[in-house]
Amino acid sequence: MANGSEQANLGIASQDCGIVQFDGWDDAMARFEADLAPRLGGQLPTKVGDTTYQDGKLVIRIAPRRLWLLCDGPPPAIDIDPELGCMLALGEGRVRLRLSGQNIKHVLERCVVVDWDSLQEGEGVQVGFHRVPVLLLRTGPFECDLFAPRSFARSLVEWISEVEIGCRHTGP
Amino acid sequence: MLQIKCPCCGPRDHDEFRYAGDASVGRPAHTDADFERWYRYVFVRENPAGAHREYWQHVMGCRQWLIVERNTVNHTILSVNFSRGTPA
Amino acid sequence: MRRLNKLGRIDRSQPIAFTFDGKTMTGFRGDSLASAMLANDVTIVGRSFKYHRPRGIYSAGPEEPNALVTIGTGGRREPNLPATTVELADGLVAESQNRWPSLKFDVQSINSWFSPFLAAGFYYKTFMGPTRRSWMFYEHFIRKAAGLGRAGQEPDPDRYEVRHLFADVAVVGAGPAGLAAALAAAEAGAKVVLVEQDFLAGGYLLSEPSAGQAGAWLAGMLARLADMPNVSLMTRTIAFGAYDGNVLGLLERHNSSSVDPRQGEARQTLGLLRAKSIVYCTGSIERPLTFANNDRPGIMLASAARTYLNRYGVLAGKRVLVAADNDSAYSAAIDLAAAGAQVTIADSRAQPGPQLLEQARRGGIAVRATSMIAKAIGGHNVRAVVLIEPRGKTTLECDLIGVSGGWSPTVHLTSHLGIKPVYREDIRAFVPGKLGAGQFVAGAVTGSFTTEAAVDDGHRAGNEAFAFCDAARSSQAQVKFDLPKINAKLGVIGDDGNSGLRPKPPLSPAFSTQTNEGVGGKMNLAKGKAFVDLQMDVTVSDIALAHQEGYQSVEHLKRYTTLGMGTDQGKTSNFYALSAMAGLRGMAIPDVGTTTFRPPFTPVAVGALAGLSHGHHYKPFRRTPMHDWHVSNDAEMLETGLWMRPWFYHASSRDVNEAYVAEMRNVREAAGLMDISTLGKIAVQGPDAAEFLDRVYVNGFAKLPVGRARYGVMLRDDGIVFDDGTTTRVGDQHFFMTTSTARAADVMSRLEFLLDTAWPDLRVSVSSVSDEWAAMSVAGPKSRDILAAAFPDLDVSNDALPHMGLLEGRYRDRPLRIIRLSFSGERAYEIYAGASVGKEAWCRLIDAGTPFGLKPYGIEALGALRVEKGHVAGPEIDGRTTLDDLGLRRMAGKSSGFVGEVLGRRQAFSDPERPRLVGLRCVEDGRRLRGGAILFRPNEPVQGHGLGRITSTTYSPTLDAWVGLGLLATSAAQEGAEFIAHYPLKGEAVRARVVSPTFLDPKGDWFHG
Repeated sequence: MANGSEQANLGIASQDCGIVQFDGWDDAMARFEADLAPRLGGQLPTKVGDTTYQDGKLVIRIAPRRLWLLCDGPPPAIDIDPELGCMLALGEGRVRLRLSGQNIKHVLERCVVVDWDSLQEGEGVQVGFHRVPVLLLRTGPFECDLFAPRSFARSLVEWISEVEIGCRHTGP
Repeated sequence: MLQIKCPCCGPRDHDEFRYAGDASVGRPAHTDADFERWYRYVFVRENPAGAHREYWQHVMGCRQWLIVERNTVNHTILSVNFSRGTPA
Repeated sequence: MRRLNKLGRIDRSQPIAFTFDGKTMTGFRGDSLASAMLANDVTIVGRSFKYHRPRGIYSAGPEEPNALVTIGTGGRREPNLPATTVELADGLVAESQNRWPSLKFDVQSINSWFSPFLAAGFYYKTFMGPTRRSWMFYEHFIRKAAGLGRAGQEPDPDRYEVRHLFADVAVVGAGPAGLAAALAAAEAGAKVVLVEQDFLAGGYLLSEPSAGQAGAWLAGMLARLADMPNVSLMTRTIAFGAYDGNVLGLLERHNSSSVDPRQGEARQTLGLLRAKSIVYCTGSIERPLTFANNDRPGIMLASAARTYLNRYGVLAGKRVLVAADNDSAYSAAIDLAAAGAQVTIADSRAQPGPQLLEQARRGGIAVRATSMIAKAIGGHNVRAVVLIEPRGKTTLECDLIGVSGGWSPTVHLTSHLGIKPVYREDIRAFVPGKLGAGQFVAGAVTGSFTTEAAVDDGHRAGNEAFAFCDAARSSQAQVKFDLPKINAKLGVIGDDGNSGLRPKPPLSPAFSTQTNEGVGGKMNLAKGKAFVDLQMDVTVSDIALAHQEGYQSVEHLKRYTTLGMGTDQGKTSNFYALSAMAGLRGMAIPDVGTTTFRPPFTPVAVGALAGLSHGHHYKPFRRTPMHDWHVSNDAEMLETGLWMRPWFYHASSRDVNEAYVAEMRNVREAAGLMDISTLGKIAVQGPDAAEFLDRVYVNGFAKLPVGRARYGVMLRDDGIVFDDGTTTRVGDQHFFMTTSTARAADVMSRLEFLLDTAWPDLRVSVSSVSDEWAAMSVAGPKSRDILAAAFPDLDVSNDALPHMGLLEGRYRDRPLRIIRLSFSGERAYEIYAGASVGKEAWCRLIDAGTPFGLKPYGIEALGALRVEKGHVAGPEIDGRTTLDDLGLRRMAGKSSGFVGEVLGRRQAFSDPERPRLVGLRCVEDGRRLRGGAILFRPNEPVQGHGLGRITSTTYSPTLDAWVGLGLLATSAAQEGAEFIAHYPLKGEAVRARVVSPTFLDPKGDWFHG
């Protein structure tokens, strides 16, 4: 790992992110998932925090009965039988902060209570960041996406930037 | 600080959770018009030194309401379950 | 100079210049400030807390009670740092404390002459009795005289950080036990974090001769650990607290050889280490001895004298007396003698072991058995010592006294979770009690004091810790690593095979203790103060006094005498105090018990606890999608909770009181635009959504048609009003709920609670969509024209969009909802646009509305408009008011079963004295009403709580009068009655008349049609 580097070692990019939320009813989960799975690419993630990426569709389970389809472009039209569950477009409320760089671990450990070393690529974790709920999705060895509420996003970016200045001087 | 092992998010600091008190009291049915039962549900509490069932919500994570059994004497957490599906 | 040209772990090729009290001195890389000061013949480092006695360096570690200094200048000034824990760095500026005008001559040392008045309990006796008033007069002088260093007055320029760390196995202390534990756990495959408070790893091995076996073993271990990627060795890091869930609080000092951090670097970082298991290898702390003048400079722990010699190459004295009641001090004596000092040992035991005596003899050391110190002689440095022996008193000249009263295991961290340490009679010491799951101990902290035992013990504990944190892998055979051998004799000289303690007889007033004043003050072997707590200036006789006056519990003893309450928290004094009190009470030590150990083990700077969370980053700010527009259009922004909201716009006026009235007028006469994005917004979906809303609101929603909105009120279970808002049916099974800004998170959580715990059978999904929507309100007679101009493709006519109607559309390919609602009493529309295009939607309304007179307004005007209209909000829905109190009972539907219904009909809620909502109108020209004023009847005495209070007020431009809402006893609340509104903060009393809370347009003609 790099250390003591005088140049910025972390990139932050901010972009809009389409999310479609699917909720299943407690007593109809099996049918709900069987109905939804083929339309979201085949398999659904089973554990909270797990993701699947099929047919260009990234799906994460964020609660026992709740899935999010994360999409860069316009969300696909998917109807849910109201007897099985419901869907909700959440395309506006969150900002996707893409963080990448050698310093990512040192930056993140000053932001969130997440054990980066044991977080697998493709694994997500919902966590408090300065008491704001965010979804952190590890996308590579030195990359992650932070899905932050839009109203807080700028404040969190300011925090990350502040932390990053200090991390330029801190070795691994 | 307490570490609460959320059934679906794993062990987390307690400040990721919202506390909502005693989970051992049974809520009357919403149609129940009995004053005494509502009074007991809202106001009457044990204050045990020892195991205590409590509601906690994982607000920074999955937002599920949990029933946490906590020893009030030494803060040991004996069990954590989803409130949904856990018998009272 | 006391520096030798050999020995030590310092780099003599790297001199370091520093100053102490303005005098420039030189040390070397690898020195602590204390060792460098000693090397420069600094004997007096500070003056004591209460008596201003000269004090020197007493220890070589964080237990230091005496050598407190202030480091740095200006904003970086940090007081009360033990010189023994400060790493020497170039340009370091150190200052002594609690002395005036100078260390050598301190005028307040005359406090010593008045010391009979300054004994324990001085403050209570002097200032709590009939003379208590004199405290007011004397406090200033007393506070100035007693004390520690001065904090800086300027802002601290440095950054502090908080970070979160994870480990399978955390090992606290990198002495022999900790190193072995870390290696064992790491070789088994664990991710290990090894924490060491010192800037070098090694623990007591650093005090052994560096050229010897200890040095070789240490170097070998460190090399092996450095090769392992799964081991992180954190030096300069103190584990200051142990918390539930195997969390350790760590304080890292900046990892740099310079005095101050480099640009951007944190001076200190608070680490929260979450470990699956913890091995405490915290070692032990040597105990002092008590005798008259045992605080004089030149007296230090025997182990410290050895550390200064072997680690720093500083021979602290040339004529040394080592006083001990155990074997361990012999190694110090032998090393000091080998370095050229003339050494005498005064051993309080009658028969030290023959092997010990032989080793001492070979080292050229005179050993005096059954010998102990009665008194030290000397002021600024010890000159001689009076020994008391069976033959009588003997005076010996010396310039250094090394004392050893045995060793106390460092049980602090293992006790932080409330686990009381347990007493072991065989070693006369407290050791850790039974620890919780995943916590292990090894080494001297367990009470076994040999190096060999520490290594073996550490190895065992490391394996156990690994097995605990990874039960799956522990089924594999434990990795038996090739442990570097360490000579069993190392660090051990003695017949009891124990470098530390051996059993001692219990304390008694007899000759067997080193208590020259005698317990209970009965035996005065010599005149002079014998200190127990050097930092707090607590003496042996203070303990006797506390006992005599009834403060016999150790917790009372502590508070009465202040023993153990200094920055060192009594690390060297606690054990003596406990055993003395046990002796005085005729009890066994474990029956007396210990005081409670609490974090932090050593002081933690408040800055480190805060980390970056101060100033701009004290809390995260929430900004609405239109935030930048407000700022660039000269809004005065106001923090409301986490939100930044426009308070008023400078275009209306620079003065808030003029601005809000102008903004209100514009709403009433033309139209205003308000950013209401802060409202809580919740999507409620599912086949049972309508049923769910029927239960959570007092009024019904099941029959609300799709495309219509309704105002709703929620109660708490106890019948008190919880929140209000509007909910719109956007689909048969889809509702769009809004909540107040302040209650948004509480309402969301409450809805989830009801679904998860009370009604899991309801098929309802709730989701916060507060951030999804930019929300703005267009209010005023021109609002429809503006809307039509802004969205020409939408039909906003009264037929298409009546009062409480919904219109859905798209704006810039994002969702758009227009709901016709009025909070201010005017014809008004709430426009919800996708948050990503919120600013564009806002600007479009501004552009389209400007020809109609549209102007933005802030929350001051918003609050005033709703008061004028008589709408309740936060000041009225204050967690104490009911439906009846607020005049909302009529909303409650006939169907039953809503939250709070049953307890909301409590008898007490219909008490005629219970305050209910009224309108108030000021009837005095030129005067105003104020929120918070208390209402009294005219001609009644102004006392008590009155009959009610004013909750919200505003000047009403429509009525040209001050009006307000208030809560007034039902029995008194007749319209037309006059009250006096008293506002004690400003001494105002204003007449006000009770009126209808709906001040204008009672029929609602303005917003219909």
